[in-house]
Amino acid sequence: MTSEERRNFFKGMAFISPWIIGFAVFTAVPIGLSFYYGFCDFALTAPRRAPLWIGLDNYQQLFHDVVFWKALRNTVYYASMALPAGMLVSLGLALMLNARIRGQTVYRAIIFLPSLVPAFASAMIWMWMFNPSMGVFNMLLGKLHVAPPDWLGERLAMPSLAFMSVWGVGNTVVIYLAGLQDVPRELLEAAEIDGAGTWRRMFSVTLPMLSPVIFFNLIMAIIGTFSILTVPYIITSGGPNKATYFYTMYNYDEAFKYLNMGYASALAWIQLAITMVLTGLAFWSAKKWVHYG
Amino acid sequence: MRIIKPVVYALLGLTAGIFLVLGSRQNKSDAPAGFTMVEYWEKWNGPEFLGMKAIVDDFNNTVGREKKIFVRYMSMSEIDRKTLMSVAAGVPPDIAGIWDQQVAQYAAIGAAEPLDDLAKAHGITKDYYLPVFWDGCSYHGHLYALVSTPGTVALIYNKQIYEECSGALRAAGLDPDRTPRTLEEFDRYSEILDKRGADGNIERAGYIPLQSWYVPQLGYWFGAEIADQATGRPELDSPEMVRAFTWVQGYAKRLGERSLNDFKNSLGNFDSPQNPFLEGKEVMDQQGPWMANYIRNNKPEFSEVLVPLDRQWELKDRRANCVWGVGPFPSAVAGKEMVSYNSFDGLIIPTGARHPKEAFEFIAYVNRQDVSEKLNILHCKNCQLRHVSADFLAHHPNPYIAIFQELAAGPNAHCVPVSPIWAEMYQEMIDTSQAVSLEPVDPAEAMHKAQARMMERYERVNRIEQERERLGIN
Repeated sequence: MTSEERRNFFKGMAFISPWIIGFAVFTAVPIGLSFYYGFCDFALTAPRRAPLWIGLDNYQQLFHDVVFWKALRNTVYYASMALPAGMLVSLGLALMLNARIRGQTVYRAIIFLPSLVPAFASAMIWMWMFNPSMGVFNMLLGKLHVAPPDWLGERLAMPSLAFMSVWGVGNTVVIYLAGLQDVPRELLEAAEIDGAGTWRRMFSVTLPMLSPVIFFNLIMAIIGTFSILTVPYIITSGGPNKATYFYTMYNYDEAFKYLNMGYASALAWIQLAITMVLTGLAFWSAKKWVHYG
Repeated sequence: MRIIKPVVYALLGLTAGIFLVLGSRQNKSDAPAGFTMVEYWEKWNGPEFLGMKAIVDDFNNTVGREKKIFVRYMSMSEIDRKTLMSVAAGVPPDIAGIWDQQVAQYAAIGAAEPLDDLAKAHGITKDYYLPVFWDGCSYHGHLYALVSTPGTVALIYNKQIYEECSGALRAAGLDPDRTPRTLEEFDRYSEILDKRGADGNIERAGYIPLQSWYVPQLGYWFGAEIADQATGRPELDSPEMVRAFTWVQGYAKRLGERSLNDFKNSLGNFDSPQNPFLEGKEVMDQQGPWMANYIRNNKPEFSEVLVPLDRQWELKDRRANCVWGVGPFPSAVAGKEMVSYNSFDGLIIPTGARHPKEAFEFIAYVNRQDVSEKLNILHCKNCQLRHVSADFLAHHPNPYIAIFQELAAGPNAHCVPVSPIWAEMYQEMIDTSQAVSLEPVDPAEAMHKAQARMMERYERVNRIEQERERLGIN
């Protein structure tokens, strides 16, 4: 490295140092500490009450904990509905919005708008829409003489939350739309000349060319659905009867309600491991269906 | 282009300079020179915040001025978490206003300072306090908090609906001019006061256990202890607790699980004119004395039937002026009367506070009889002290305050179970009450499962505690 290069290197480092220091202090160190606390009894009140090393006790306890399994099952159940629904609806909307139709930008804005609404506000709106007596869904069903279901009751609460999650797909739609702009027109035209119809062009050209974007959205959706907290916390608080009690809710309660920070750290690392395994599976499968260029 | 670089440097330098000169630091400007500033974080906002603000101002202008102490009072959302974080960071406030259930929790993890010596030095002893509140402030024989405002729970009922249903009540041998005296009688009142629409849906409920804020404490009215008083060991599957949750299930069975759930989901927020009690959708509820304030704010006509509210009236006239009444929530145990649950807001000195002695001067001031009465009148609550003035009882905004005061002083007054795992137990009982109400679950089995889970937690906490003691790590 020449002296000029060294000077430039240090200059560059100096410029990015606020971010490096910020990342180290507020992200890397807490991640490392939470890994350590996962093996401790710890309640935030050190040095008065120092962390006590208890080895694998938190992890062993966790596997015997019925609430852990309930929360995990609920999260997987929610993900199994919300993830494919979100992926399919956002992709479908993007394909429709990509069509050259009158008022295209207006439709795009309408689809994107809900994702701009703060989570708290949209949760409140949906809570009222799901209300069994005054909610708009049951009012409409009442007009059709259909027995109004209890949308947020024990049986339907989870599908209702998954249905609601589709409301905020605006961001994903925008990413798909950007991806659709990159599908080479010459390929679509060549396919058309070769006699391919609309569906054939979509399945043989558009979707394969869009597969890296689909893959990106899939990874983001896996992370998003497994860390869902705000909206269900506002709408159902995990009830009724823990029917919508998600993994992140349990993690939050253990950390800040029951003050078991060590146990909560162990829960967080298990969540990370699950997310990594699922992401790893997605990467492994990507070799078969994601086409770059 | 040569000008850009110096301009950017100048702007960055200027920004840094502004931050250095005006940036965050401990602000002592509020306190007069030579005064010790006591930082006080409190959970309240709105009228309750202003109520305590009046007390803080009084202190700063009297005792504080004399002893050179200045209290800086700040409203803080999520006070429990922020206090804990500040203890962890080593920069806690001098006083934190937390909820009663956190006293034992904070004491168990060393987040609050013991107050025994300070209280003794100020002459604040168990004799000065109502025993139930003193016990709630103590953990393992040490005092960790003092009360700012208490809240005793009683039965609140709608006199107008009682009157409307007086024929049916009398026909059933019940007296519409008084509250039920036993739980069995209470259930009969409740059933008669229920009202269903033509479609069979509930339009009005006499009482709904699930709607009560105090489902986890219901066991007290059945003679249960919930947790062992000495050790904090959970006792969720005692016959009394099973009876309490069987009673909860009985309401779901009578009203219909689905109907009950639909009805519950259609009810409005507590602090709104859509409050089910104010809307006449729930005839009886378990509430604290503060309900009078909510009635005045959200449905003033409930307390102004004859003429506008006037606190200078005789108590009997003031009570006659109300559509609502208060009585003890009836007990399920024969001969065990005046059973009550007593919640409170506590003042603690967090571990590591810089001015504990000065902080306690303020805590002691809040617990002076005249000051406590003033604060509790402003908050519309009863008083934690053994003695209250006749004026407090006669001119309190809640004309039924004497009933709350009597309940708190009674032999069957209970407070939050002093257990390090109360937060977990509380949630477990909320979940169990929902389970027995929504599913055909045997309450005995449900409570046994809850007990097993809580015992696992309790034993783990004890095991770790013993390990800490063995290694000398506290």
